[in-house]
Amino acid sequence: MRGLLAVLGRELRAYFFSPLAYIVLTFFLIVQGYYFSLIVAYLSDPRAAAGKPLELFFGQTIFTWLVLLFAGTFLTMRLISEELRSGTIETLMTAPVTETQVVLGKYFAALVFYLFLWAPTLVYVAIVRAVTPVDWGPIAASYLGIVGIGALFLAVGVFASATSKNQIVAAIVTFSCLLVLFSAGLMENLFQSEAAKQILGHMNLWQHMDDWSKGIVDTRRIVYYATGAGFFLFLTGRALAAKKWR
Amino acid sequence: MIEAHDLTRKYGDFIAVGGVSFAVPEGEIVGILGPNGAGKTTTIRMITGFLPPTSGRVTLGGKDLFGDSVAVRRDIGYLPESVALYPELRVEEYLQYRARLEGMERSAIRKRLPEILDRCLLDEVRRQVIGTLSKGFRQRVGLAAAIFHDPKVLVLDEPTVGLDPKQIVAIRELIRELGEKHTILLSTHILPEVELLCSRVLIIDRGRIVAEGTPQALRERFKGRLGISVELAEGVAPADVAAEALGALPGVGSVTVDPAHSGRFTLECEQGSDPRASVFRLAVERGWTLTGLAAESASLEDVFVRLTTRDDEAAGAPGSASEVAA
Repeated sequence: MRGLLAVLGRELRAYFFSPLAYIVLTFFLIVQGYYFSLIVAYLSDPRAAAGKPLELFFGQTIFTWLVLLFAGTFLTMRLISEELRSGTIETLMTAPVTETQVVLGKYFAALVFYLFLWAPTLVYVAIVRAVTPVDWGPIAASYLGIVGIGALFLAVGVFASATSKNQIVAAIVTFSCLLVLFSAGLMENLFQSEAAKQILGHMNLWQHMDDWSKGIVDTRRIVYYATGAGFFLFLTGRALAAKKWR
Repeated sequence: MIEAHDLTRKYGDFIAVGGVSFAVPEGEIVGILGPNGAGKTTTIRMITGFLPPTSGRVTLGGKDLFGDSVAVRRDIGYLPESVALYPELRVEEYLQYRARLEGMERSAIRKRLPEILDRCLLDEVRRQVIGTLSKGFRQRVGLAAAIFHDPKVLVLDEPTVGLDPKQIVAIRELIRELGEKHTILLSTHILPEVELLCSRVLIIDRGRIVAEGTPQALRERFKGRLGISVELAEGVAPADVAAEALGALPGVGSVTVDPAHSGRFTLECEQGSDPRASVFRLAVERGWTLTGLAAESASLEDVFVRLTTRDDEAAGAPGSASEVAA
């Protein structure tokens, strides 16, 4: 446990003390703010169909996905590949800590920073609340979805980061994997077989986010994110161990 | 304390380390000496558990390194060759991080920190960001991190490489002090370092141990075994005739003709013999004008160069050997 906390602490320091984090944060907020203003402008048009701004902010548009795909990639690409490149992996893996502790420490640090990125979007909720009553259920569900899908994406990124000492390669691998994960569900209707339709339907992240934003809570989806994240983190641990056994 | 049994490490078909066995007794400083690329770092990495051996076993205080891995790793303090640190951390933050990885309590770390900073002469840079430190300071930070949790065994891979002479003296002094309380395994390609610090030496070359013992014993082993250089005036005798005659003298092992000068020979003598007088008499008998006759007794450096010079280099430029001697 102490090993995990040591790794977590160092990674958080690395996030918050590095310019990259603030660049990501700045652009994240600029992009999110832009999307939010677009949505508000769209809904203010008297000809527009009626809609709820926060529902559109979290679901039903491509905006959320662009943010999620890039955040998942940029936040994790450094995590392990940098240790491999600089050679700090050597003192880390010869310290009395297990691969699991190292992987989880890094993963939780990424997750904390990810939550930190999203935290300012609560301001949008406050803004909407100032002009109109809000339904808290869908908002809570939306954040649950954001955290769940983020947790899955970050785990994929951590894994990719352990596969290369080059951050760019790690980023490309992550982005490709995330695109596959994301688009697999969208191909649901291309298949004839009922089973394939069902499986892909369960994995349809777009549909997930749509439902979360409407306040539909389906625990099977939480299980999907959690097992998916667990699987990729397990692979990461194996990848680190494999470096020692090659 | 440390025992390596028949360690072998292959990279594909290339054998980086082949069947190395040795022991580091408790409380001793043992040096691994070898030219660059001899397999020192590979051996060290197998001892610290970073690199698994292709075959063979490492035990530390009787515990198997790969079986009891996490528990055993707590007993090792390791300074890797590259001394990779996190550039964004301050010196004391880095040391605290490494100590926490080793499982130390916060209160214990707080108590230990000033002592370590003082001991490794890091007081003046304790608040400095590691990325801005010079190589010498980084090396000391790495060493400080390795000894922070007071491990039983210290493994140092080329601890003085890249330092200026003053820093080298300081680090050696520190290692010598540490050696009073810890068991140390260090690797180096610098000879005086071994003679100064180590109670035992392993000389490795091309992945194999070529000699082993105390520095004195190694020197002793080759002492009395003289190398004699003989120089005859140009043209007094054909090189092959002279070489044959010299080789036939009692006590002479082998004769090498200097490729640059056909009258110059190096005789390698058998243990304990000194055939200089017979060389002189031979020259007189044959009427050869003798222009030079000198004996060189082996220093540890000669031992090392002789042991690690590859056959194909012996005739031409002994690249790695001269680098080592420098």
